[in-house]
Amino acid sequence: MMVPVRCFTCGSVIGDKWDELNKRVKKGEDLGKVLDDLGVTRYCCRRMLLSNTEIIDEVLKYKTTRLKSSEDG
Amino acid sequence: MDVKILHKDDNKLRFQVNGISTPVANALRRIMVNEVPTMAIDEVVVIENSSVMCDEVLAHRLGLVPLKTDLDTYVLPEECKCQSELGCNKCSVSLTLDAEASDSIRTVYSGELKSANPDVTPISDKIPIVKLAPSQKIKLEAYARLGHGSKHAKWQPVSVSSYKYVPEIIVNRRKCDACGQCVEGCPKGVLDIKDERLEVVAKEKCTLCDDCEVICPKTPSAIKIKNVKNAFIFNVGPTGALPPEQIIIEATKILRKKSKDFTEQINQLKIARVKKKTKKAKIKKKK
Repeated sequence: MMVPVRCFTCGSVIGDKWDELNKRVKKGEDLGKVLDDLGVTRYCCRRMLLSNTEIIDEVLKYKTTRLKSSEDG
Repeated sequence: MDVKILHKDDNKLRFQVNGISTPVANALRRIMVNEVPTMAIDEVVVIENSSVMCDEVLAHRLGLVPLKTDLDTYVLPEECKCQSELGCNKCSVSLTLDAEASDSIRTVYSGELKSANPDVTPISDKIPIVKLAPSQKIKLEAYARLGHGSKHAKWQPVSVSSYKYVPEIIVNRRKCDACGQCVEGCPKGVLDIKDERLEVVAKEKCTLCDDCEVICPKTPSAIKIKNVKNAFIFNVGPTGALPPEQIIIEATKILRKKSKDFTEQINQLKIARVKKKTKKAKIKKKK
């Protein structure tokens, strides 16, 4: 749904690198080089960032009424 | 035993240890992964959550955020005197998160977690927790506790903890004619030819794969790969909860305590056996 906090395989933190990676790749930098630069060297961690899709952006469009409906009874 | 630090930066520590056996090296590695305690969010009380992410996923994400750990002030919940389910201020820290999106979509980051103890904070302020659409709100209270990596990976102080043998590359100068086949065959670029002579240029990169030995056209081959006896290169990648040096020191402390406990138990067994024997001997004498 969102970028995982840690790598599934080795457990190093990768969530905090997502925003910077996205920003720099959109500017036109090479994805592989940015990953190297961010210190994401192992292929287990690299695939976490490479293969992530922020599905939450799609889900977010549909407002949840969970809390409201429960309040209404 | 001697220890030499080979490389150190923010997310990696490589060091060589000479004079320990493989079981000791492996025990140290396993203790670093499983037994060195760190702080992590363990329980979350969700007061309000109108985001699209359900409570369980939210709590799981919060749990994985590494927290800076102070091992001197905090004790493990099972060793704490309070013995209460909720924990006291010696064994738990409360963190609160209160976030709301006003008029646009926004991301809630780990930096918004407010800790009761300013020393126990997330290692990074930029870990995304959840995204909120306008009018969505999150309000929760989380409790961080010390724990072991053997129970859950969120308590692991290291992401990578490995060791390898120290390589020793022996080139037979009389046989070697610097044909260069081993230079091309080496996947790590350990060897090179300089002035028509085979040289080892990056010994630390050698993985002891023996490819150069196999590829060498001479029989028996002019290059030999060996490992130095009782020497290991450790590679430790901390998550940031504890500094790498402290992880290793704590691991050695735990190893020492474990072996001490073990010898004590063995000694008690021995005493029990001797007592049993003397008892038997006494009964025999009486007969």
